[in-house]
Amino acid sequence: MLFNSIEYLIFLPVVFIIYWLLKSNYKNQNILLLISSYVSYGWWDYRFLSLIVFSSFLDYYVGQKIESAHGDKNKKRWLLVSLCSNLGLLGVFKYYNFFAESFANTMSSVGWEVNALTLNIILPVGISFYTFQTLSYSIDIYRKEIKASKDIVGFFTFVSLFPQLVAGPIERASNLMPQIEGERKLNATLIKTGVFQIFIGLFRKVAIADNLGVYVDSVYGNYEIHNGSTLLVATVFYAFQIYFDFSGYSDIAIGSAKMFGFNFNRNFNLPYFSKTLTEFWRRWHMSLSFWLRDYLYISLGGNRKGIAITYRNLLLTMLLGGLWHGSSWNFVIWGGIHGLFLSLEKYTFSALKIKTFNAFGYLYTFIVVIVAWIFFRAPDFESAATIVSTIFSFDFGSLFLGDINKFVNAVLLLTIGVAIDLRLFKSKVSLEEFGVRFSTIRLTIIVSIIILLLCLFYSTTENFIYFQF
Amino acid sequence: METKTLKQLLKLIALILVLSYTIDKVVFFSLNTISDNVMSGQAIGKLNQFLKVKDTTNLLVFGNSRANHHIVVDKLNPNAYNMGINGIGIAYNSTLINTLNPKKKQTVIVHIDTKNFFNDAYDGSDIRGLKTKYNRIDKITSALNESGKISSLQNIFYTMNYNGSAVGILKNFIKPKYNHLSYNGYDPLVVSKSKTEVRDYMLKNDIAEKCTDNHKVNPTALAYLEKIESFTEESKNNKTFIFVTSPIHNDACAVDNKILADILNKKNLTFWDFTNLYKTNNDDTSLWKDKTHMSNLGAEKFTTHLLKKHQAYTSSLK
Repeated sequence: MLFNSIEYLIFLPVVFIIYWLLKSNYKNQNILLLISSYVSYGWWDYRFLSLIVFSSFLDYYVGQKIESAHGDKNKKRWLLVSLCSNLGLLGVFKYYNFFAESFANTMSSVGWEVNALTLNIILPVGISFYTFQTLSYSIDIYRKEIKASKDIVGFFTFVSLFPQLVAGPIERASNLMPQIEGERKLNATLIKTGVFQIFIGLFRKVAIADNLGVYVDSVYGNYEIHNGSTLLVATVFYAFQIYFDFSGYSDIAIGSAKMFGFNFNRNFNLPYFSKTLTEFWRRWHMSLSFWLRDYLYISLGGNRKGIAITYRNLLLTMLLGGLWHGSSWNFVIWGGIHGLFLSLEKYTFSALKIKTFNAFGYLYTFIVVIVAWIFFRAPDFESAATIVSTIFSFDFGSLFLGDINKFVNAVLLLTIGVAIDLRLFKSKVSLEEFGVRFSTIRLTIIVSIIILLLCLFYSTTENFIYFQF
Repeated sequence: METKTLKQLLKLIALILVLSYTIDKVVFFSLNTISDNVMSGQAIGKLNQFLKVKDTTNLLVFGNSRANHHIVVDKLNPNAYNMGINGIGIAYNSTLINTLNPKKKQTVIVHIDTKNFFNDAYDGSDIRGLKTKYNRIDKITSALNESGKISSLQNIFYTMNYNGSAVGILKNFIKPKYNHLSYNGYDPLVVSKSKTEVRDYMLKNDIAEKCTDNHKVNPTALAYLEKIESFTEESKNNKTFIFVTSPIHNDACAVDNKILADILNKKNLTFWDFTNLYKTNNDDTSLWKDKTHMSNLGAEKFTTHLLKKHQAYTSSLK
């Protein structure tokens, strides 16, 4: 069920009312949340619910086994069961065709034709997100950072909680499980911050991102006929499209969760206001970047095994982070660019003995990020390479505007979006907490204006970019 | 939930509903007032001008961007209007045709594209282009309701009727794009010197698409064609309907043209198919802007051809 659909507009209040009618018993609330989450997911394709149930059951069971196992060896064995099963599922559903195709291409390039190995597999929505969530649960138990859950409904709810099931934020059990296994309360602060964040999220996604996407799609769909200035503007638009699309989704998820008394972790913190790429990754898709840091980079040795190993770990983490997004070499290259520049930054900081760049760093970071986004957006390596070379040929001609109305709308909405971010950046208050500042009347006015803007500028794009991951 | 929290929540919801509804109506009626005075721009000006002149002109052209850029209506009749609009299809055109006065003597040229007609994905959503007139013009309102392309929320939040067009309307209200009194709806595509290279490259690499086996007529397009057909019956003593497909640079598939021609012939609708009119003359790229759109030079040449055919046809009717 999409957050920007009429179905969700009905679904959310209905679940909300029944949920708070059950306030005397949090376990009943959990049962309701579990059923609602499965309904919400099954709305897309009920067949893949079995995967979530399997993944939930596996880690519930394995979690208890890790905890009760004697000796590190036995604990590790159970952890491996979780790792192999979860990553195996992800491998089959998300990466099998990619590796089979890459293998066939490699063999073909050396003159050995391999029969078609690819399978007709549909990628289940959200598999990358809930797999990482259940994996972190088992790893945390292994690391003795949390206790295994004894509440099966609570644990299943943790895995499938509908606001974050299909595109995150990837919640840690240490944050969410205690909230699920205890009484929730709704107060004025949660209502104000939640409502504000839901509407800001809707505006970011439905108005800003989707309007930017119209221009981006028209340019990237015919990239070969456009000049450098058009491709550059389309790429800058894409940088903001993907940011407002995904942060907007996260805002709706976090805001919706607040209405049920849950506090999710932040997922975005104004990433384009970063002076370094290192800072960018502390602000962009934070639940994934911290996951990769804690469970991959640190597990590989982090920066504790010498400078060469540190660079290797950084590069490997970012390459795998890229691959997490999708089964395409373009995502790997995208991760590789980030890994390379993160390594270069680390070297520069240590050589110059500095901790960050000056104001010029904002520009540097943005340039690196948008060049990497070209590989993220382009359909294949050849087209990405053509776009990069056209932009960097600096042969800027007149700008293609397409439908002038749509272009003007996109620029106007982008300006509003950036102005909101600038206001948040200057106030040094996070969006998650910003709503609490408003009186009821002021919040009403702001929300009503957002509703008006949504009516005037909504776009009918039917998906969120991150659903494909 | 505490009673105090519940009261706060109910208060917030009630206030949001009341205020958003009020703001919506204030903005909607303000936009109505403004938009009624806008006569330029594709978003609403062209539609407003059409509604103003539709029952006083002698000749009308309906269709998409190819109709808009290919038919120099002045050449056909000094009192004519070209209602071709970018990106729209037969749903939009059929609805507008049905707003015409059946008693007014007129020639109506309907530009039809075979490719759109055989497109599985066509669902008639171009009719949404008329939403600024939703609940304001009866025939458009009923066509929009019937199409199912209007959100149920649109009956609560009226400003959704101006979705995507508000800025264009304001811009054309403050500074009209052109003087509508001297505008007949035809927009020439002039290819500047700097663009000729890109155009020539595209045309040189224009590989004709192969015919597919699927030549099933889109049921939505057919339903809207039948609505036009009903109107031709209703107005048969007063209106001459001509269905036209204008030239394409390199179309390799004649099957779909044939099927569409058969459908129109069976319905006793006059159909002139010019798809391949300049195919043998493909070296002359000056006629084109791109693979599917003719330049102003191409449009002049094509309209001259159309005029001759039209004159011959009119004489044959006498």
